[in-house]
Amino acid sequence: MEHFFTKSEQIQHIIKGFNLTKTLFVSSIIIGEANIGKKSLARYLFPHAHMISGENQKEVEAALEAYDELIITDFEKLNNQETLNFDNKRIIATANFIGNYTTIDTLFAFIYTMPSLKERPEDARYIKESFAKKARHDLLLEEKDLDISEIPMDLSSNSKSLKKSIYTHLMIHSMDKQNIEEAVYYYILKHIGGKNAYKEHLELYEKPLIEAGLQKYGSQLQLSQVLGINRNTLRKKIHEHDID
Amino acid sequence: MNTISIDFQPFVEWDNSPFILFSNRGKILYLNNAAEILFGYVSKQELYDIALAYAPQSFGYKTTMLTLNYDAFNFYAITVGYENEEHLSVRFYHTPRVKSSVPLETGKLMTTDINILLEANIALFKTKNNNKLQLLTDQDIPSFRIDQNNFSKLLRKSLDAFRASDSINVNLKLLVGEHVIISGKKESIVQLSIEANGRYNDTDTEIRNLADQSHISVLLKEHAIKLEIPLIQ
Repeated sequence: MEHFFTKSEQIQHIIKGFNLTKTLFVSSIIIGEANIGKKSLARYLFPHAHMISGENQKEVEAALEAYDELIITDFEKLNNQETLNFDNKRIIATANFIGNYTTIDTLFAFIYTMPSLKERPEDARYIKESFAKKARHDLLLEEKDLDISEIPMDLSSNSKSLKKSIYTHLMIHSMDKQNIEEAVYYYILKHIGGKNAYKEHLELYEKPLIEAGLQKYGSQLQLSQVLGINRNTLRKKIHEHDID
Repeated sequence: MNTISIDFQPFVEWDNSPFILFSNRGKILYLNNAAEILFGYVSKQELYDIALAYAPQSFGYKTTMLTLNYDAFNFYAITVGYENEEHLSVRFYHTPRVKSSVPLETGKLMTTDINILLEANIALFKTKNNNKLQLLTDQDIPSFRIDQNNFSKLLRKSLDAFRASDSINVNLKLLVGEHVIISGKKESIVQLSIEANGRYNDTDTEIRNLADQSHISVLLKEHAIKLEIPLIQ
């Protein structure tokens, strides 16, 4: 990755700090929630550094022997943090949380905290756009099929949830009748059983039908006419499916 | 033993340790050069009170071990002399500048531009704090050898002590004419001073330990931290 987009002042300070110490032998750690770009940032700043995950203790130990410059991701997963020796090495670590503060404080000269995507609305917007672009490409969609502003900004798990919500949204919105039938087919194939399957799965059709109808026509009276069913029947079904 | 008739006053006058002679009412009858400088940092009344508090019960001399700090002056003991009803004398003993017990690990030292490390640490500080910070530095300070990682930790902790301070002044300058001898070599000294309207002192011990490891002498004051860093070549 040759570019790291950010409008966040805090991250710009982090980049400045790293750029200044790039040639020095100091140890730094970036701490922040999962999926906010810590690894991408480390890669962007040190494109040639060897990168290794803290999941494997032995590999980290071996890499410390072999390299003077090293990116260690998932640092919180290492069990033997206090035995590591970073003397005269350039270490860039990333971690989702601090764990034992004293250990981190002793090991690292620079302890950076990276803000989550929720705290960086401009960055989140940029990432959303680039995800949407990629998703459109992956799903072979036309530009006209895509209105980014309609996609909800789901940052509950930062970029992970954002990416998922974009793909889900685009897939749902680009399905045709055949796709939907197929989706329902596989859903039912997986879940059918018991003694009341007809009524149980009728919900799959009735609930979205009434919800969409109400959204479009506003009143139950009008909807009952459009659907060609009795007003009381409609009310009963609304109650049955717990529709507001 | 022969009795030598000699005037000892010049010896006291030029003694590096402050010496003060008070009257029984607390008036200063005599003070040497070192004491004169000391009075720039502490009041007459305070030193008189100390002398009274540690005076021997009957006539004579009494030495007490105690810790006294006045700005850059650190004393570890005083002797109070009480020879007659009229005079009370007090002499202060300087705490020796502790020589770092840690041997200098020359293998860990890398030639470094201190301004880079300082700026990087200020950038780190700014990711966490919005305090106003002013840096006055000398870009011409020559690169010198230091344990980069250890020194960065020291800078981080020193700056962190000012995390809630209002306006922070960071000043880096070469102490002209001052030297320190490390491993038999005479080295110049740069002083990094961080000052503000107040600071936290929760990490003072850690700051002292980190400084010690890099042979940096540290002055921890209520509103300031001053590091005297040897320019090891």
